[in-house]
Amino acid sequence: MLTIENLHARVGDREILKGLSLHVPAGEVHAIMGPNGSGKSTLAQVLAGREDYKVTAGRVLYLGKDLLAMAPEERARAGVFLAFQYPIEIPGVNNAYLLKTALNAHRQAQGKQPMDAFEFMKLIKMKMELVHAPKDFLSRSVNQGFSGGEKKRNEILQMLLLEPKLAVLDETDSGLDVDAMRIIAHGVNSLRSPDRSMLVVTHYERLLELIVPDRVHVLAGGRIVKSGDRELARELDQRGYDWLQTGATA
Amino acid sequence: MTAALPPFVDHPLPGAGSTWPRRRAALAELAAAGWPQRRRERWRYTDLEPLAKAGFDVAPTAPGDAELATATTLLAALTGTAPRLVFVDGHFNRQLSGSLPTGVEALDLDAEWAEFDSRWAGNILATDHPLAALNTAFNQRGLWVRARSGTELAEPMHIVHIGSRRPQLAAQPRIVLEIGENARLTLVEHIVDAGAGSGWLNAVTQIHQGARSQLDLYRLQQHGENQAHTSLLAADLAADAELRVGYIDLGGRLVRNDVEITLRERGARVELFGLFIAGAGQHLDNHTTIVHAAPETRSDEAFRGIIGDRGRGVFNGKVVVRPKAQRIDARQSNDNLLLGAHAEIDAKPELEIYADDVKCSHGATVGELDPDHLFYLRARGLDENDARRVLTTAFAASVLERVRDEPWRTRLIDLVAARLGGMVENFT
Repeated sequence: MLTIENLHARVGDREILKGLSLHVPAGEVHAIMGPNGSGKSTLAQVLAGREDYKVTAGRVLYLGKDLLAMAPEERARAGVFLAFQYPIEIPGVNNAYLLKTALNAHRQAQGKQPMDAFEFMKLIKMKMELVHAPKDFLSRSVNQGFSGGEKKRNEILQMLLLEPKLAVLDETDSGLDVDAMRIIAHGVNSLRSPDRSMLVVTHYERLLELIVPDRVHVLAGGRIVKSGDRELARELDQRGYDWLQTGATA
Repeated sequence: MTAALPPFVDHPLPGAGSTWPRRRAALAELAAAGWPQRRRERWRYTDLEPLAKAGFDVAPTAPGDAELATATTLLAALTGTAPRLVFVDGHFNRQLSGSLPTGVEALDLDAEWAEFDSRWAGNILATDHPLAALNTAFNQRGLWVRARSGTELAEPMHIVHIGSRRPQLAAQPRIVLEIGENARLTLVEHIVDAGAGSGWLNAVTQIHQGARSQLDLYRLQQHGENQAHTSLLAADLAADAELRVGYIDLGGRLVRNDVEITLRERGARVELFGLFIAGAGQHLDNHTTIVHAAPETRSDEAFRGIIGDRGRGVFNGKVVVRPKAQRIDARQSNDNLLLGAHAEIDAKPELEIYADDVKCSHGATVGELDPDHLFYLRARGLDENDARRVLTTAFAASVLERVRDEPWRTRLIDLVAARLGGMVENFT
């Protein structure tokens, strides 16, 4: 599904990713853990096509295609979804309108007819129940006045609607209490399938008790310094990252 | 030193001989005030020299059959069967206008000028508004619309200005709206041209609102691309009267709107909002003045400008609080979105406050589309043009939300979205 080889990326003069390699086979959920500033969010943004991040070396193959050559919207329509760590508030843009426009942009790329308003409402209401979205979710402006938890739920709602092939969740658990995290995890787990992969970026192990990963990778100093199974996440929870970081910078 | 008047002003006076004395007087005032020049602060950003140099017919004759046939075709799409007052080339046309709702009458302003003059003479000074004096000198078949006290209209009434294909006309429509006490109505004003336009519309509208009356006036300006437009809206509000004015300017090449609202008696309030969209080669200027002349008056003003590449916008918002106008509340905002490297906006708030117990706020912003917003939408699969269109339309829609008439609000948002669609695509 996703193969990253020797990826180097910088913001301004600062190199953040320094030779990152990673392989995520179809149907698997991989977790990326790591200390603050290790490059976790940079990786997520680079995969989504954020232009502020300059890739200076390496390549990324998504379903055999050169992901880095694609515009952000091409990636999205090809099935790459980024759940933002800090979902953007867009005053004046109706949430239902965004959801419907996004869905129809995807459908158009797949050669399908646009979905009409009636069908769309039926579909979105079903998805809203999954993430316990309040009724006024649709009529409000995108993320404007949403609580932290609501914003994250809105991201997951978009993901449920767009049914991506590769979902990148960037610290979706940050700022959530246990109940909210359960709701989010339930939504994410409902999407798990043999032809869908997920990259779960997180700082804490808690989320991985709810979304159980197939593999866990530690990102430190811009590279994957250790990979393992879910037990690695527990070990990190107990021991922290220091024992690994020393190795990374050496 | 005052600037000489353009040669086209030297034109035989129209109308009945009985109207000539007031027309001559207006011309004399105009001559004394001089043609607007950029060295005057009020005209600093808008140059009327190109108008002065062009040849115009300042007193167009009444439209003929061809013009009226064109107008009829345009009207069907604009107003449907709603009650309407129709002007063609600046002349009010009773035939096209049809019947008016109960409680509303439309008088021939020329015939009633003496009465009009005795009540409201001196309200508009030629020194401030020289082009209004030009209108006084040459307007014909103007209209005095009266809504009797207590009249309530369930449906909006329309005022339509149609420019025919006759070349180089300077049409001078004049409208007086007298809204009786406790009357409540909504007016929708359309300004359109049959073609690209080669002329100039110089309109003057005066509003006199009685106590506790309520008027909503939404004006949609969709001139042809070569048309020039200058206008003055002067309103005067009695106690507890409520006025809501929305100006949506989409068309025209050179557009200058002056709006002057006087909150004359206690408790009067105005909500004044506008949206102007200037594409390449368009110059759109809104100059507004709100005068708080009495205590406990309120004003809420919000203008938004969207300026495309090689477009130009001007906003000047002046708020005056007179010495006895205590406990007033005045809010003003002006937000502008620039869509190209060669887009230009001149935004200027002006406050003159002579009372001490007042609440006044104002703010002006100029910016571009937020790259974070664009990326978020693209990351959801919208292509760059669509993302631009969605964000720009949202920027515009937030001011159109102030339109209270729901069908009109929806229609305006659709129109604006269509207009912006073309602009953002040409931009990238």
